[in-house]
Amino acid sequence: MNSSSSFSLSRRGLLAMAGIGLASTVFPRKIFAQAGGGVLVIASGQDIPNFDPHTATGYSASFFMRNVYDPLVRVSGNPPEPQPALAESWEVNEDGTEFIFKLNPAAKFHSGNPVTAEDVVYSFGRALRLAKGNSWMIRDIVTPEGVTAIDPATVKFSLTAPYAPFLQVLPWIFVVEKAVVEENLGSDDGETYLMTNTAGSGPFDVARVEIGTLYHLARAPEAWQAGGGNLDGVVWQIVRETATQRLMIERGEAHIAVDLTSEDMDSLEDAPGVVRVIEPEYRTFSIKMNTEHGPCADVNLRKAISYATNYDAILDAAGYADLMIGPLPHGILGHDPELEVYRTDLDKAKEYMAKTETPEGGFTLKMMHVSGLEQQRRWALIMLDSLKQLNIGLEIVPMNWPDMVAACRSPETFPDMFPVYQTANYGDTDNIAYAAYHSSRNGNWQNAVYNDPDTDALIEAARTEIDPEKRVEIYGKFQRKLVEDAPDIFGVLERRKLAMRDAVKGYQFTPVASNAIEAWPLSLG
Amino acid sequence: MTDTAEHIATEPELPKQDKLQRALFRFRQSRLSMLGAVMVALVVFFTAFGTLLAPFPEHIAGGVDTAARFQPPSWAHPFGTNELGQDVLSLVMAGTTVSVLAGLSVVLIGTVIGTLVGAIAGFAGGWIDEILMRLTDLTLTIPGLILAMAVAAALGPGFTNMIIAISLSWWPGYARLVRGEVLAVREESYVNAARAIGASPSRILLRHILPNTVSPIIVKMSLDMGFAILMVAGLGFIGIGIRPPTPEWGTLLSVSRSYMPDYWWTAMAPGMAMFFAVFGFNLLGDGLRDILDPKARR
Amino acid sequence: MLQFIVRRVLLLIPVLVGLTVIMFAIARILPGDPVALAAGPNATQAEIEALTVEYGLDQPVWVQYGHYVSGLLQGDLGTSLLTRRPVAADIAAYLPATLELVFAAMAIAVLLGIPLGLVTAVWRNRWPDYLSQVAAIGAISMPRFFLGLLLQLCFAMWLAWLPLGGRLPIIVIPPPSVTGFLTIDALIAGDWTAFTTALSHLAMPAIAMSLSPLATIMRMMRSSTIEVMQQDYVMTARALGLPRRQIITKYVARNAVSATLTVIGLYFGWLLGGTVLVETVFDWPGLGLYATKAIVSQDMMPVIGVALVIGLLFVLANLVIDLLYGVINPKVRYS
Repeated sequence: MNSSSSFSLSRRGLLAMAGIGLASTVFPRKIFAQAGGGVLVIASGQDIPNFDPHTATGYSASFFMRNVYDPLVRVSGNPPEPQPALAESWEVNEDGTEFIFKLNPAAKFHSGNPVTAEDVVYSFGRALRLAKGNSWMIRDIVTPEGVTAIDPATVKFSLTAPYAPFLQVLPWIFVVEKAVVEENLGSDDGETYLMTNTAGSGPFDVARVEIGTLYHLARAPEAWQAGGGNLDGVVWQIVRETATQRLMIERGEAHIAVDLTSEDMDSLEDAPGVVRVIEPEYRTFSIKMNTEHGPCADVNLRKAISYATNYDAILDAAGYADLMIGPLPHGILGHDPELEVYRTDLDKAKEYMAKTETPEGGFTLKMMHVSGLEQQRRWALIMLDSLKQLNIGLEIVPMNWPDMVAACRSPETFPDMFPVYQTANYGDTDNIAYAAYHSSRNGNWQNAVYNDPDTDALIEAARTEIDPEKRVEIYGKFQRKLVEDAPDIFGVLERRKLAMRDAVKGYQFTPVASNAIEAWPLSLG
Repeated sequence: MTDTAEHIATEPELPKQDKLQRALFRFRQSRLSMLGAVMVALVVFFTAFGTLLAPFPEHIAGGVDTAARFQPPSWAHPFGTNELGQDVLSLVMAGTTVSVLAGLSVVLIGTVIGTLVGAIAGFAGGWIDEILMRLTDLTLTIPGLILAMAVAAALGPGFTNMIIAISLSWWPGYARLVRGEVLAVREESYVNAARAIGASPSRILLRHILPNTVSPIIVKMSLDMGFAILMVAGLGFIGIGIRPPTPEWGTLLSVSRSYMPDYWWTAMAPGMAMFFAVFGFNLLGDGLRDILDPKARR
Repeated sequence: MLQFIVRRVLLLIPVLVGLTVIMFAIARILPGDPVALAAGPNATQAEIEALTVEYGLDQPVWVQYGHYVSGLLQGDLGTSLLTRRPVAADIAAYLPATLELVFAAMAIAVLLGIPLGLVTAVWRNRWPDYLSQVAAIGAISMPRFFLGLLLQLCFAMWLAWLPLGGRLPIIVIPPPSVTGFLTIDALIAGDWTAFTTALSHLAMPAIAMSLSPLATIMRMMRSSTIEVMQQDYVMTARALGLPRRQIITKYVARNAVSATLTVIGLYFGWLLGGTVLVETVFDWPGLGLYATKAIVSQDMMPVIGVALVIGLLFVLANLVIDLLYGVINPKVRYS
């Protein structure tokens, strides 16, 4: 493979200049400067334990899939737009229930075989059959029978209902080579095989793996995609501490770091050769309250708490972030920047407190947070501080993520307060609205308890509406309704914080899963 | 520090009173033990009054001051402020309580369980001894920190859960020690005499055997205090210790780790406090061992 | 001798059975719902139930234990719920890193601890001796993870002499794996750059781990040397006019070996299980990091596997040490 030869070339360069006992921190900088279009190094805290595009989850897995596999359509730009990937063009019927995709005739798997409509049908069938990973995004919308191959280069999707965000969802369903999976089917639909092997058509393929340490993807010889950069490969290096990621960027040991904190970004401000990317993203942080059980079932208490919250402190602690205006992230379709929301106002807080059964407070609420998530710990302490003013105590319980998920099963086990990060996996308002506020998601961590028939009706109406203007109108009502119900303390939108060396060229920010870097368009120079 | 060989050589039979005085005298002679005793006294003092004496008591209860984040050390904040603007010194002073109380609880529970197991095994002998000692050996082979982490993580954070988790692997040392002492003492003439006049086994155990094992146990407890404090801090460092907002050294250190090197001071005070407390208990324990249990010294 | 080995190896069986029973019991008694995590955040209740059945977690504990043991006999340590990878393969991948760290720490402890112990014994009751005694207790008292952080702060962050963490930078292709120890494999391959780079990564975590055993070896050497120097035969030898240095060297050498063996016996298991915190600080891809990640996700199979492997290594190490005692001191009877 061309990549491995260039990789060892750079190593030979290293050998030449390394000398004896030189610390490794010193020489990589020179290597990267000299090697030119070589191997892009991305420092990330998340391992890639599973390669299967239909079962894996997490942003590291998204990185892997985006570079090793191809979807029918990609997403890029700001605001994000669907772009051709395996499909070079597509048509949609008037009521938005039928999509026809024309495959790019150049598209080839790593095996050299062309990507056919049959592979696409097989992949969607497999994703739905396994019902893991990203398949929830198309569940109930796409059925195995609804995906058909019209001819080897044409696929037709008949949706069960009109679904406005369909094209935004497609970038997350990847196509595998049917023949390869069938050969290695095993007893589990090829799950075991694809966990450590690939059957993709993406611009890169796996070259070297050290579990828990690094994943080296090399440019595939068959790479057929247009618009590529000069990279020979990409390395996803696992660096758990963010401070370490930052130092690696400073010293040129990594080209891109994806998990940096606001403090890291501050200290990189004047670092030579470092480009900081600090962009708003569709990622909300709010604190869900138990609207069904316990003291917070009283809307007046929820409002009192919403007014008592110290929003300035929340923003301070978050660093590069914006306060949320209502339940939706800024800039997403339908978000109303003029919405009237809660801001710190102790008088109003006490006014609503007076309407509750316990105007004097004197009770203790329970808040869980994910142990080890530093931001959540900070916010919990700020809530404790804020609630003191209403004479309400706060018991803070850091928990493992699985236990937190388990606590969401019923209103009785759900705590009074529950912080949640919600990332738009696909760039449509429906993603946030449906997952976070629709009653069908009750029992699930994104919306454990809140249920309101009017809210449900608004979400469903917006989901099946195709006319954007009408959707905006519906989402307007939806936002006002949620502010009135105050099921959450609407917190902050943390900006995406990436740092990269100035040698990285061709980078364009897209506010959807931007930490799962798409390496194909990038160059080193 | 006194010398080893001397102790082994001379241990004349003295009346009890003189024995105690002699021990105290020797303890005072040993400058290191005295240093340890003073350090431990200081740690105990902060355990009791740390929260009261802290310059910013509101921060201990979880109060934040986000406008004053990451201030470097100054007169107002000798160890600076942290990511929420809290006074690091206050948090570390208050953190003494958790560390010492948790350490003490673990050591006490370990001692009680271990003493019971060891005494029963040693006194009963036979298959009971065999089973209990196999269990003891088995527990010793389980990596203690990993076991404690697994149990603490599953039980969820909290003071009691943490102590349960650590105590699970803390008793075997005591069990072995006590059993050894019991076996050694069991055949002594006065025990045989007591048995001959028909004293019940439990009476013999309580009146004759256990008092003789007190010295080595106290030495071990003192030495173990330091390690227990480290274990507590270790759990906190991994992120499975005590619940916030209660300050705890390991947790403070683990949080401040993300802010190195720019805000390095947030890590110094909790780290130094840990070192100080453990050092104190180890110096004291070492001195006690010289005095109370000279034959164990090697 | 052979009989002794066979007997000891046979005794391993109940230990292993006991270990699996204890760890399995703990893993099953504890609260928590790992399946929910394994199923992913968007799984439905039905999917969670299906997965519970898939992993056999719906069956009675003893049935699960039976499955586990029958797998164990075929070298199968079960499957991680979180990553769905076989635990045995993961442990095989992570174990060499931990062993390399532990052996490096032991090597530092022995190479520095023995001469220091000798020197302090000779200078007994003079100020270098007092100082070293305080330092030894200080070394035992120093939290390894705090020391690790301090080293990292000084030598990696401020001075930038040593790398922050990891085993090898990604641009250095690891030498072909023979022992799994990067330093040794690099030497075997004659790859000097890989060797020095691997060594520079190993230095700080190994130093952080070595402090406790170092201090212990030093103290043992000191006291045993003092004892030797006061023994009758040494006095006699001196009276006979043998040079002091020769006497001490002879008797001390044996003491050095036995002190080393004892400390290795004492510390081997402790270090294996205790690498967790240092591995966390230095991002060292070993068993500790692996176990920590599993513990935080309540993924119990890897935890049981790691505990089992560490327990087994601990017992084996002690067996080897007991045998070596006999080699250096033929008076020891194997019974």
